[in-house]
Amino acid sequence: MLELRHIHHRYGDQLLLQDVSLQVQAGEIVALLGSSGSGKSTLLAIAAGLQRPDAGSVWFDDVDISAVPPERRGFALMFQDFALFPHLNVQDNVAFGLIEQRLPKKEARTQALQMLEVFGLSPLAQRKVWNLSGGEQQRVALARALITRPRALLLDEPFSALDADLRVALRDEFRNRIRAAGMATLLVTHDAAEADAMADRAVRLMAGQLVPDCNGAAG
Amino acid sequence: MAAVTRLNLPRSFWLALLPAIALLLLLLAPLARLGFAGFSGEFNALGDLSLWQPWQDDYLRWRVLWSVAQAAITCVLALALGLPLAWVLARFEFAGRRLVLRLLMLPFVVPTLVAALGVLALWGPRGLISSTLGINLQDTPWLLLYGNLFFNLCLVVRAGVDALGQVNARQVAAARTLGATPWRSFWRIEWPTIAPWLMSSLCLVFLYCFAGFGLALVLGGQRYATVEVEIYSLVAYELQLGQASVLALWMLLLTGAVALGYAALEKRLGAPVRTEPVARVHPRDARQWLAVAGALAVLFVVCALPIFAIVIKAVYALWTGASGLFDAEALAALWNTLRFSAVALVLATLLGVLHALVAQASVVWRALAFLPFVVSPVTVAFGLLLLYPSWTASLPLLLAAYAVLAYPFVAKALSAGLDGLPAHLTQAARTLGASPWRCFWRVTLPLLAPALRRGMAFAAATALGEFAITLFLSRPEWATLTTLIYQRLGRPGQANLDAAMVLACVLMTLALLAFLLIEWPVREHATADSDGHGSRVGSGMTISH
Repeated sequence: MLELRHIHHRYGDQLLLQDVSLQVQAGEIVALLGSSGSGKSTLLAIAAGLQRPDAGSVWFDDVDISAVPPERRGFALMFQDFALFPHLNVQDNVAFGLIEQRLPKKEARTQALQMLEVFGLSPLAQRKVWNLSGGEQQRVALARALITRPRALLLDEPFSALDADLRVALRDEFRNRIRAAGMATLLVTHDAAEADAMADRAVRLMAGQLVPDCNGAAG
Repeated sequence: MAAVTRLNLPRSFWLALLPAIALLLLLLAPLARLGFAGFSGEFNALGDLSLWQPWQDDYLRWRVLWSVAQAAITCVLALALGLPLAWVLARFEFAGRRLVLRLLMLPFVVPTLVAALGVLALWGPRGLISSTLGINLQDTPWLLLYGNLFFNLCLVVRAGVDALGQVNARQVAAARTLGATPWRSFWRIEWPTIAPWLMSSLCLVFLYCFAGFGLALVLGGQRYATVEVEIYSLVAYELQLGQASVLALWMLLLTGAVALGYAALEKRLGAPVRTEPVARVHPRDARQWLAVAGALAVLFVVCALPIFAIVIKAVYALWTGASGLFDAEALAALWNTLRFSAVALVLATLLGVLHALVAQASVVWRALAFLPFVVSPVTVAFGLLLLYPSWTASLPLLLAAYAVLAYPFVAKALSAGLDGLPAHLTQAARTLGASPWRCFWRVTLPLLAPALRRGMAFAAATALGEFAITLFLSRPEWATLTTLIYQRLGRPGQANLDAAMVLACVLMTLALLAFLLIEWPVREHATADSDGHGSRVGSGMTISH
């Protein structure tokens, strides 16, 4: 279970997060809603270990991981711009995390190819990532995140760069794949419909505090 | 962001330590030592020297005023020629345009002494043009001004092309529909946009000409040599350290003032904004084709002809069987040049990478990388001589000085590359399990490879062509190609001039290899080292001459 406990964080003079606490159970998808600049991406970066909060702590399975660097948390973070590495081809992008887990390169590539097959992307394995369409890039990013079997998946507006039709198609596909992988998932979005379609429950960040999302029909 | 900075502060400190020590010991401390010597008059045993002597003594006043004048005249000429050339290159589309833009980088890697010899090969005694036309430009200011233009015209043209790319096409279109003629719309819309960029490049031109050494030493002659040459003569031949330190102090003050102006302009310019640039058109009528041909002809005469002249002279010398061209002395100089440059390049790359990584978090630190660009090598060498008198003929000091002069190229190119690197890529790598070091090795470094290559090539060219520091701090057995060329020029007879031309040709070939590394077309990643950054880096980069 991923837990954020009493997180406080300032950005300049603005109090961005004020005593924010949140729990995400294993296998659960929680949507974090909020307007632009409300601090939801900051909260995600704090969960990932990319940013340290002014106060508060991050826990996983009842272990305080606040001081653990991002590479040792075993989480995967997906960005709205996909953040695929442009100097690597599709297969090596997917294999990246496995190589960091000290898997031999050959073995990592084989596993990456198998993962790409599951995603229906194996014909693209040798392609450079900037030659892919938006939807293909997003799938590669998810494959790259899931291959390391992360303990938690953190999604930062994963569909905002895609057009409307693709967004609807992909969110169904993503929900099924994430459910099959069965990890704690925190989805940051400003789109209530997306939260509704993907998440088990939704919370909203307003004026630095978390409130249950009244419109969210999740569950 | 504040939290990230706080998190990395100890790491930034350690990363900054080595470049900070290098800058302090090899640049700031020598300059401070020199300033102290000039101000305190410690070498003024007879008490006949004052801080105002450069303005009271007719001879020294002429040196200072001429140094200012030749730099100012070069600025005027470079603007008058460069702006129309930039306009033609920015507004017309023609076959070979991109190649011309690439070739504009060429003079930036040509060593000063090679350029000086190029000018001599054209206009000097038995020069290709001077002997054909029967004119003699020796002991006139034209040789030096021509040499200055060879280096600096390209700088102004590149800055002009970049600046004209920032002009918003919609604003020009609006001005035209409101009744402005093309000429009026240039003055009222385009000129205000490009003027700060051009002024910034002219500041650099002024600095390079004012603080230049090699060109003035070889081309200035007795009458038109600059203050830098005078400082060298006072130190090396007349042992008048007092007078030299007063002159160097004035040079520091004057270059410092211009450098401050340059920094203020650069700050105002900030990051280039994305605009819709004015579309280039194919030349249609004879007048427009004439403009393109004229621009290319001017560029050829000013920036390419001296290089061709050296090649012609060198080939002729080899063809006629001139002897002693590749004697033991020349081979030793070649070997010294190569090994000194290789060591300097390794050191400069290390310092440059460290400096660039820290520069992301600190504006002041970023600005410090400009310091070696604006300080004249003669001043640095003289300061080192005063500060470390017992180490003046030590190889480590010489190589460290090389590295400090060369590393800002690496730091500047890498900083620009890092600016263009999306933060998400490294964050993604971290969350996928990469430690900071692994993240640098597997993501940052491969993405910055083009920028690093570019910076290293400039640094290599600087080390290959280094002249002033070597002249001050070297031992005879450490002669490099540049110092040997200078020695050969000082010896009488055609054979020595031929040998100098051949050596210059060898040095130029080495510099060309560096140039090919810089401008070799490669498929660059979409996210790093974008065209905008590359050109901006290019416009701010020249070797100090």
